[in-house]
Amino acid sequence: MALFMGNKVTVILGSTTVSTNVSTVNLQREVDAVEVTAMNDTLANVVAGIERSNLTIDFYQDFASGNVNALIEAAFGSKLNVKLVPVTGTVSTSNPSYSMSCLVSQYQPINGSTDGVMTQSVTWPVTAMTIATS
Amino acid sequence: MIPSTVRTNLKTALTSISGLRCYDIIPDSINVPAAVVGQLDFTFDYSLNRGTDQATCEVILIVSKMVERMGQAKLDAYLAGSGADSVKAAIEADTTLSGAVKTLRVTSAAAGIISSNGTDFLSYRYAVELIG
Repeated sequence: MALFMGNKVTVILGSTTVSTNVSTVNLQREVDAVEVTAMNDTLANVVAGIERSNLTIDFYQDFASGNVNALIEAAFGSKLNVKLVPVTGTVSTSNPSYSMSCLVSQYQPINGSTDGVMTQSVTWPVTAMTIATS
Repeated sequence: MIPSTVRTNLKTALTSISGLRCYDIIPDSINVPAAVVGQLDFTFDYSLNRGTDQATCEVILIVSKMVERMGQAKLDAYLAGSGADSVKAAIEADTTLSGAVKTLRVTSAAAGIISSNGTDFLSYRYAVELIG
């Protein structure tokens, strides 16, 4: 069993790698649990419904050309391709990539405070996903 | 972030304060008024893929206690948030330290007494948060 730290995740928005402006990333896969409990069942019975996955990323804001703000602003209100690789490097069966289309449904371009760098946390619904091992 | 570059550039930034002697190594004896750039405390992996680290650097500002009223007046000018003698303004004039870091902020200054070679001096310990 291989263990690895979570600090090497590659995060690609469109075709631009933005990992160095990301502090945390979380892909939450979830399907609806559709109840199909029938007469005489003694436990509630559910089956998998449609998938409703979400991608959450905490960014360090950067207004430089082609960086975080420009990429997200350009995609706001539309879909953006996002690719995640658990450990930067070759995609393999032990290091699968997750490519997805996300609706950029929320964005905080300005999130300032007196005691830290400007950050933004976004959660976007995933509308398509492909897992690759090579 | 290269610690030696950060410390050198912090020292350079402080030299903009007229009359302030600046050290990026801890001297055996101190000629006051002086600012000593201390060591960096590091927190690695501030962002993914070795993008940035976070560090805190202490800058110790030292003035004479021999003439206490003058010493305190000088310290007050250094402590101010702005002005020609402001340590915070001098350090934050270029928040990249000539490209050595991505950003920085002087977060606090704590008053105290520091002793060197048997002599007590008035001092402030500044904390500088650096990301790069």
